[in-house]
Amino acid sequence: MDWECCWDRDVIVMGDCPNIHEGDEDLLTSKRRRILEKCSECENFKRDLVRFSDSSHPLAPVFYLVHSEYQRQKTQIQSLVSFLDNKTLEIRFMHELGFVLQSSVDLEEVLSVALTAITAGKGFGMNRAFLLLADREAGLLKGYLAIGPRNLEEASHTWNEILGNDMDLKTLALNFRQNKLSAERAKFHDILEQLTVPLSSHEHITIKALDSKHPMLIEDAFHHPDVNPNFAALLGVDTFLLMPLISRNRRVGLIIADNCITHRRITDEDMHSLETFSFPVAFAMERASLYDKLQIELNRVTEAGKKLKEQQELIVRMENMALVGRITSSIAHSVRNPLMIIGGFARSMLKNTPSSDPKRDFIESIVAETHQLEGVLDEILNYSDSLYPTRDFWDVGQLVESALRDTAEVLMTRGYASGYSSENDLPAVYIDFKQLSYCLRTILQSDINGMGDDRTIAVRSYRDGEAVVIRIEDRSRSVSQAELDHILVPFSETRDLGAGLGLALCKTMLDKQGIPFEALAFPETGIVYTIKLPTHKEEQ
Amino acid sequence: MSKLLVVDDEANIRLLYSEELADEGYEVVTAANIAEATEKLQLSSFDLAVLDIKLKNESGIELLQQLVKERHDMPVILCSAFSCYKDDFSAWLADGYVVKSGDLTELKHEIARVLAKKAQKLKAGL
Repeated sequence: MDWECCWDRDVIVMGDCPNIHEGDEDLLTSKRRRILEKCSECENFKRDLVRFSDSSHPLAPVFYLVHSEYQRQKTQIQSLVSFLDNKTLEIRFMHELGFVLQSSVDLEEVLSVALTAITAGKGFGMNRAFLLLADREAGLLKGYLAIGPRNLEEASHTWNEILGNDMDLKTLALNFRQNKLSAERAKFHDILEQLTVPLSSHEHITIKALDSKHPMLIEDAFHHPDVNPNFAALLGVDTFLLMPLISRNRRVGLIIADNCITHRRITDEDMHSLETFSFPVAFAMERASLYDKLQIELNRVTEAGKKLKEQQELIVRMENMALVGRITSSIAHSVRNPLMIIGGFARSMLKNTPSSDPKRDFIESIVAETHQLEGVLDEILNYSDSLYPTRDFWDVGQLVESALRDTAEVLMTRGYASGYSSENDLPAVYIDFKQLSYCLRTILQSDINGMGDDRTIAVRSYRDGEAVVIRIEDRSRSVSQAELDHILVPFSETRDLGAGLGLALCKTMLDKQGIPFEALAFPETGIVYTIKLPTHKEEQ
Repeated sequence: MSKLLVVDDEANIRLLYSEELADEGYEVVTAANIAEATEKLQLSSFDLAVLDIKLKNESGIELLQQLVKERHDMPVILCSAFSCYKDDFSAWLADGYVVKSGDLTELKHEIARVLAKKAQKLKAGL
């Protein structure tokens, strides 16, 4: 019998078998492989088989049966292989996804991975996905992020770009997060806003899906009894998938996915795969969200720890200051009273001692020394007082006027005149009133020698940005800038205790309150002091 | 002759004030604590009181508050070893404030000033 198929030949040449093409050259010389791989599907072979069946050979029906069974099983195996290949790809993808999700505690990264996975061709290959997050505090399911093209042109461009760059899921997600996340959010801003639904709206299809904790495939959405037509119109597709994200029985969010461009049918297989995918995504999202909260709490605790440490240091400082306060208080009482008694009685005695009395010199020495010691004591007490300022809001006018009032008599005795002018509506300043008052009195009564006939001190207060400036122009006193700077250094080498610590103490007090103080000497015109007082606590 | 009440816990200071202020022409009565001062205030009237702030375990500020309430027509001058009280709210109730010194000139000026002010007020019928 002449056979149409080449199954009976050991070796064939290209063209003998219609099913052997370029790349199948191995089969030309391998009869066994050729029969198993090509012949059973070959039309020539099938015709040979019919002829064989008609030949009344006793094996013909058996052979026909075996061949049919072989073909059936081969198809089944191919189908199974295809299924297994798909499953392998899916498992690989889920493994990659799981790895990426598990290694991230950043919510934005997790969301980028999730949405990229849904829409990537290597992933679930959906055209578009919306992510809605459950905000339990606000009681809302909020539209948060979306991914996908809005039209065919954009889709072609994006998909070609993805095809051109053979990237794995992690790289795709990273690329999305770094380059596209903000743009996608802005692109879908209008839809995302309108997707927001109260969690209590149990009739809404999204909340229904969330409550059911199972995916819902919505078909014919525009006529679906459970879908609000506005919602369907907003999405602009009649078929979409609602995928709740549930973690530890808690509603984390919802993914809406559709094929708005390709209109590829969403199969049950898609749904099952996405459902499997939704568990690690929900878990990763919740973990990232908790991590965010943990980070915030950690920052708070760190901040609180820092503040606590500062407070502890402050307490230690205050204790030290309190100790200084107690010591100085004790000095004040223990030293000043005897000094006063010695000096007072010495003065009394001096009054009644005639100038010819040889003891008068001794008494005068006692008076002078006690006076000197009282000066030293004043300076030490004032210096210790400056260590712990007590600040509050005060009126500048009240501050300046009280200082001028207190010094008026002394200034008048020395032949000085003083004047004060102020801008209207100055804000209250945050200062230690006592210390500032002391500073102003000290500046006004400075022991720097006077000069000339113009013995005037002009005080002015005005606003300077957020601060209030007190400017004191002392036109009557002359000193060089170098000398003035030296005077401003407390306990400087050339100045003895009791010789006038005043201005240096003022500078120390103001420095401790963080108040800028400037003293500029103009040999021809006097000295200008400027004190810049804060109007807010933060400026301290 | 103006009559002054001097309250100070230091005996020598009371003596010094008595001597010096008497020389200035004032009649001086002294007290070592609040109880003694209160007793003397009940027995007699005074034109002015000079109070120390730290009185052993008592506070001259308390006595000042009591005097402002009960003897508002009698001016009070605080005389203290502490300059810091000068700007203290509680001390603002006083008519004058002097930091203790062996040189009593400032105290004497302050007494004269406050008494003159009181006389002016009386004259004006306030």
